[in-house]
Amino acid sequence: MEQEVKLIKITTPHFGEIEIEDDKLFKFPDGLLGFENLNRFVLINHEETAPLRWLISIDEPNIGFPLINPWLVDIDYKPGRGIDLEKEAAFVVITLGNKEREMTANMKAPIVLEVENKTGRQVVISKDKYSTKQAVINKPKNEGV
Amino acid sequence: MLVLSRKVGEVITIGNSIELTIVGYDRGVVRIGINAPKSIAVHRKEIYDKIVETNQESSSVQFDVLKDILKNTSIDDSLSDMNKLEQLALHNSKPKNKD
Repeated sequence: MEQEVKLIKITTPHFGEIEIEDDKLFKFPDGLLGFENLNRFVLINHEETAPLRWLISIDEPNIGFPLINPWLVDIDYKPGRGIDLEKEAAFVVITLGNKEREMTANMKAPIVLEVENKTGRQVVISKDKYSTKQAVINKPKNEGV
Repeated sequence: MLVLSRKVGEVITIGNSIELTIVGYDRGVVRIGINAPKSIAVHRKEIYDKIVETNQESSSVQFDVLKDILKNTSIDDSLSDMNKLEQLALHNSKPKNKD
């Protein structure tokens, strides 16, 4: 028997109105650092900003965080034993760099989603190696001439 | 602020679940051992502040700005396929267009 899925409608400045199936929500018991009061999020993909994803707050839909798979930034990324990569998907938070069209990623504090239990958290990696502003490599697309 | 003097090896308790031990002192650096329940996050403050600031900055990045960046540049994702967990975590419903 299939369980009934409730739909939640939110309006975001990012992509207007979206409907979320409530079994796709991630609970963040501790929120994110600095956003401890936001405890429910959904992970959205939009083709115009892929391969980035968006972690959108259900409680405050005008708050959303662009994320990226950390291995697209650093193929040797090793977040350490605090994350179970068999069960958890890891993402890092994107900010804008100082140069034009530059993006940076916070490799120091990945956001981890436990896929089965639908819980999420932000982890701080104690290794000094990782920066909060690691440049994301993006290359100009060939202008069609 | 409450200020306590402690010798190396001495302990401070906070509430009934947190213990701070002064492990050592050497050339201006104090080493502190912390015992706390897993539910209590412990951070070096300057790193915590930096992450909070980065999160705040990230939350103010506009969709259109990233859309523009990714219209003109691309991130090489050929080496790492979207893994299965990432796929499972994604909400699949297609966002409606903005206008």
